[in-house]
Amino acid sequence: MDHIYKHRKKLIYFGILPALLLYLAFVIIPILISARYSLVEWNGFSAPKFVGLNNYADLFKNSIFWRSLKNNLIVVFASVLGQVPIGFLLALLVNQKIKGQHFFRTIIFMPVVISAVIISLVWSMVFNYNFGLLNNLLKFVGLGSFIQNWLSNPDIAMFSVAAVIIWQFVGLYFIIFLAALQTVPNDVLEAAEIDGAQGWKRTLYITLPLVKDTILAAIVLCISGSLKTFALIYVMTNGGPSHATEVMAIHMYDNSFNAMKFGYGSAVSIFIVIFGIVLVTIVRQLFARFED
Amino acid sequence: MNSKLNLNKLKKFLSYFILVFFALINLYPIFWMVMNSFKTEQQISINSFSLPSSLMLSNYFKAWHAVSLGRSFLNSFIVSGLAVIITVALGSLAAYFISRFEFTGKKIIYSLFIFGLLVPIHGTLVPIFIMMRKLGLVNTRLSLILPYVAFNLPLTIFILSSFMKSLPRAVEEAAIVDGAGYLRIFWSIILPMTRPALATVSILNFVYNWNEFSFALVLINDQKLMTLPLSLSLFSGQFSTDYGMQMAGLSMALVPIIAIYLLMEDQLVKGMSAGAVKG
Repeated sequence: MDHIYKHRKKLIYFGILPALLLYLAFVIIPILISARYSLVEWNGFSAPKFVGLNNYADLFKNSIFWRSLKNNLIVVFASVLGQVPIGFLLALLVNQKIKGQHFFRTIIFMPVVISAVIISLVWSMVFNYNFGLLNNLLKFVGLGSFIQNWLSNPDIAMFSVAAVIIWQFVGLYFIIFLAALQTVPNDVLEAAEIDGAQGWKRTLYITLPLVKDTILAAIVLCISGSLKTFALIYVMTNGGPSHATEVMAIHMYDNSFNAMKFGYGSAVSIFIVIFGIVLVTIVRQLFARFED
Repeated sequence: MNSKLNLNKLKKFLSYFILVFFALINLYPIFWMVMNSFKTEQQISINSFSLPSSLMLSNYFKAWHAVSLGRSFLNSFIVSGLAVIITVALGSLAAYFISRFEFTGKKIIYSLFIFGLLVPIHGTLVPIFIMMRKLGLVNTRLSLILPYVAFNLPLTIFILSSFMKSLPRAVEEAAIVDGAGYLRIFWSIILPMTRPALATVSILNFVYNWNEFSFALVLINDQKLMTLPLSLSLFSGQFSTDYGMQMAGLSMALVPIIAIYLLMEDQLVKGMSAGAVKG
């Protein structure tokens, strides 16, 4: 059959070309242009001026940037320590012989498909000081002293925002783990039970090692996902009060499209990309060492 | 024996307790919002827990007009739908050649596409904005459709080509012996067999486009062209104090996406976890 295939090579390239061209034009080339923009000073209208690595120097001198990096790390830690274990626990629970399996799966995954804009507006109202669900609930159960200005108190706003991020994406990790758990063969678990491994022991020594790769994949996803956080915070607080919830993507947007510093903004973008690659590499290395 | 039975019962009870607790955390905020969307501003501030005393719809009328919800639904539908059609058409053609043929550069092209799963869209916002400005496309639907297609191609090609690789070759080879050309084989043999995967990527792309915010924020500021998330984001600015209206608007905005989710849950769940693990 091969000779017939080889015959019409042109057609093959012709079939791939439209997809490839669009992809190159709007994904790959923009990333390269971004790297080039990060080396110039430019307001988008006058002629760009080459400034070498100055934008990066400005970046590291800017305390607001450091704050946004710290906030991003809060999102990363909250996601890795919140979404992954909760998702795993819920997957273990749903993977048992229980009634309403499908119902729980549907409800737990639901927030993942809702737009971040809707979710942030709903939660802004849940967090509202006067009529919000959270403060009302606290009052109702007699914990009135815990009432807070959840989004406008700069000391806790970042944690309120992180909680919403966890809330939205727990379902994604739940589904990933559930799929992995369903591939663990039943006879392995039964054999373990006969050998005396039951309950949490069985989970710890049998199930956990079997889904280890999935856990690594989930943590990597969690990190790259956390660094992309934008719409949720943009709508809920727009980085405020006074930069308390500003993450790097917001810092990038604000400097590029409000301050019209396209060079500096691009430097932030490139930093986000490199930072993500570094973090993911570190996690992979840690897992590899853990293996030995 | 008896104590073991009790332990099992306790375990079951705890499992249900935790699951019901998380289900409530997911559902109650939305239920609470829908309840309050039928109340006046004053009723909300007095008691936001109570059920509405009547189905007052004035918030719904106000919200529908305030951010032109009807037009936003339509804009989102046009942009998302067109982008899905283009992505699936171009993506399935590319996936066909990548999965069923050997040719030079195949590995490189495939890896290049897979690399796209890792590219954060915020790294491309500035260049794409500048590009669209040069092309005179800012504030057009096309300015959204082009990046939506480009960013959805990697996942589409990944899912479709893995599926096509698993299809048996027998029918195809018989067709070649009968003298059918590739495009004919693609159209009348491969595409029909790929239907389940096509459904998955179509619905997945549609939901991603429907929810997309960043490109819309940068490329569209004409109210007439705003997609749903962009229009809704106006609630946090100019209408941020009219809560009843906001809740009504959000409740309406939730209807299509929840409906799509309930109808196509399996495809969505499968597609999203496949994309997530690969990315």
